Amino acid sequence: MTTQAPTNGSGRSPTVPALQTFVKETGGWVASQLEACTRCGICAEACHFYQATGNPEYAPVWKIELLRRAYEQRFTIGGRLRLAAGLAKPISDADLAHWSTLVYEACTMCNKCAIACPMGIQIGPLIHEVRSAMSEAGVVPPELMAAVNKQMAEGSPLGMTDSVWDSRLEWVADEWEEEIPRDVQGADTLVVFSSIEVMKFPGNVAAIAKIMNAAGEKWTVSSEAREIVNFGFYEGNEHRTVEILKRVFDGAVALGVKRIVVTECGHAYDALRWTAANLMDVPVGIEVTHIAGVLGDFVRQGRIKLKAGAFDNDGVITFHDACKIQRRGGHINEPREILKILAPNAFKEMSPNREQAICCCGGGVIAIKEADPQRYAVFQMKVDQARKVGAQTVTMTCSNCRLQFTDGVAHFGLDLKVTGLAQMVADALVE
Amino acid sequence: MNWTSFLEFTRGPLFYAALLIFIAGMVYRLVRVIALGWARDRVKSRGSKLGGAVRSLLKGFLIWPFIPWVKNTFSRSPLIYVAGGLFHLGLFVVIFLGAAHMLVWKSLLGFGWPTLPLPIVDWLAVVAIAAMIVLFINRLVHPVLKLISGPAEWLNLVFVFLPMISGYILTHHLFFRYETAYSLHMLAVDWLLIWIPLSRISHFMFYFFAKAIHGAQFGKRAVAP
Ligand code: HEM
Ligand code: SF4
Ligand code: SF4
Repeated sequence: MTTQAPTNGSGRSPTVPALQTFVKETGGWVASQLEACTRCGICAEACHFYQATGNPEYAPVWKIELLRRAYEQRFTIGGRLRLAAGLAKPISDADLAHWSTLVYEACTMCNKCAIACPMGIQIGPLIHEVRSAMSEAGVVPPELMAAVNKQMAEGSPLGMTDSVWDSRLEWVADEWEEEIPRDVQGADTLVVFSSIEVMKFPGNVAAIAKIMNAAGEKWTVSSEAREIVNFGFYEGNEHRTVEILKRVFDGAVALGVKRIVVTECGHAYDALRWTAANLMDVPVGIEVTHIAGVLGDFVRQGRIKLKAGAFDNDGVITFHDACKIQRRGGHINEPREILKILAPNAFKEMSPNREQAICCCGGGVIAIKEADPQRYAVFQMKVDQARKVGAQTVTMTCSNCRLQFTDGVAHFGLDLKVTGLAQMVADALVE
Repeated sequence: MNWTSFLEFTRGPLFYAALLIFIAGMVYRLVRVIALGWARDRVKSRGSKLGGAVRSLLKGFLIWPFIPWVKNTFSRSPLIYVAGGLFHLGLFVVIFLGAAHMLVWKSLLGFGWPTLPLPIVDWLAVVAIAAMIVLFINRLVHPVLKLISGPAEWLNLVFVFLPMISGYILTHHLFFRYETAYSLHMLAVDWLLIWIPLSRISHFMFYFFAKAIHGAQFGKRAVAP
């Protein structure tokens, strides 16, 4: 683990902008939660990073330590007195560098800690506030910053440029013989994929296209709003988050669609569905939803028919809850309803599951090489849970998790099949 | 000054002054946090924020926050749940259901309520005192707690411990003359009242904020808080 982080290159100490951000973000929402913390340490045991490594610095409450210090030293009498008397340490450049590695390399924003905390403190979102300060101060891991810059310049952190997008989509449509409507004015639904799907899981793109077509949905993709991933949000930079969100909303407005369907990216769904309206003026009358919810609706409304028991004969299948789509997105029931049709006997739940599931450790840290040791350590816990129910296949609704699973399975040489729910649904469609 | 007049002072003027500081301090803390401003949440809900908040408060309050609602959390920190829960239970029973304390409430509020028999209150007090010692030792040895504890965390436990132990000594007429023990107990209580608004023991007030926020955030996404 490195504690070295770049400074913002302005010659000014990074603590100044960091503190300004802390102060700006400290509304009652943040303050009342910081005040409620009894420093009991229970959240530590909820965090997969702590569970896997036993490193006390990975306790969620410790990751927001700088936010607490900044808040107390600025807004509370006791904190100010202690600072003046030299009893409290002001935040230093070295602190920022150190906490930068903690909040970027040892947190996936899964918010499991929030449900374990006896006070119910939303530590995940508070860590996002710490990231905002890091971003303002320019103390972001270089690898992440490079990906952010790439997305700002090229539209995608994975290098999905105009020509790559064109050729990739054409190839998918050809290879799977599926129609993918592009830039259709007046379509009802704009589907925005993540570049992970387009570049690494093209089968998922084809599967979603097949399902949309089968359901008779008037849908389209947009060459303007073609990347759902939001690395500005991941970084915690409000300005860049909004700029990337705007690309998606502008594309949707230009086509006149009624809803945006976010596909398989957790951070993107969090940004677009649960954060955008508080950061910017979002276009009215455009609903934002997730493909997991759409699949559920299609099945409930009978718009697609699935072959019952289609996956009942390939050994035990288990479902991995993606933090940002299930616990923090709310689409907990739909995948289960579908799996009960597809594999009524073979589907087994891991424990814990649903909103209490543990993160697979893909979410974000997979983009930072330095985080590899803890990422693999956590993944092993997840695999153990799958093993416990005898799973031969694990399915999910997030391509970022899927990237983590495919990478982890290869890294450990495991005999575990990794697939996506959309792909299973597409394979089980009855015309 | 003899102990009798010192006792008069600690349960008279000092107590009322401490009570005033406690109330004024807590009101200040509350107003300060509320005045920091609350941005309006403009995100469209999927579920009910109010429903989530109510559920979260009921879950946390009627049955207490020391129920490990989340799978595997209890087995990972049983000490904090058991000792923390017993400590708070003992504390609340002693403060509200002990006969002597009820009389104090009666003199302050003008009405009283039924209390528990002394032996029960007495045992819970012992349990609470023991639990506090366990919590203190746990804080000394647990790597995470060691890391996140500053002087304030140690002092919190000490300053709640003092009224409990002196109250126990007082009811059992141990070591000191009655007036001396009583004075020491009142001194510890007065100091705790002053200390609470200066410290994190004020968590019992912000607990309601945090739990409500938690419930609203989960309810908004139609997820069980
Ligand atoms: C609504 C009322 C309250 C709630 C929900 C509550 C909840 C909690 C929780 C969840 C903890 C952390 C677990 C633990 O370390 O034991 C805690 C710790 C603590 N509470 Fe409370 N509490 C309340 C009232 C009080 C009151 C009135 C006092 C004292 C006058 C108090 C004193 C303490 C102390 C000293 C600790 C720290 C224990 C330690 O260091 O381990 N609490 N409380
Ligand atoms: S579990 Fe909650 S109250 Fe306890 S230390 Fe963690 S954040 Fe603070
Ligand atoms: S949000 Fe998840 S990863 Fe981050 S501190 Fe909490 S439990 Fe750990």
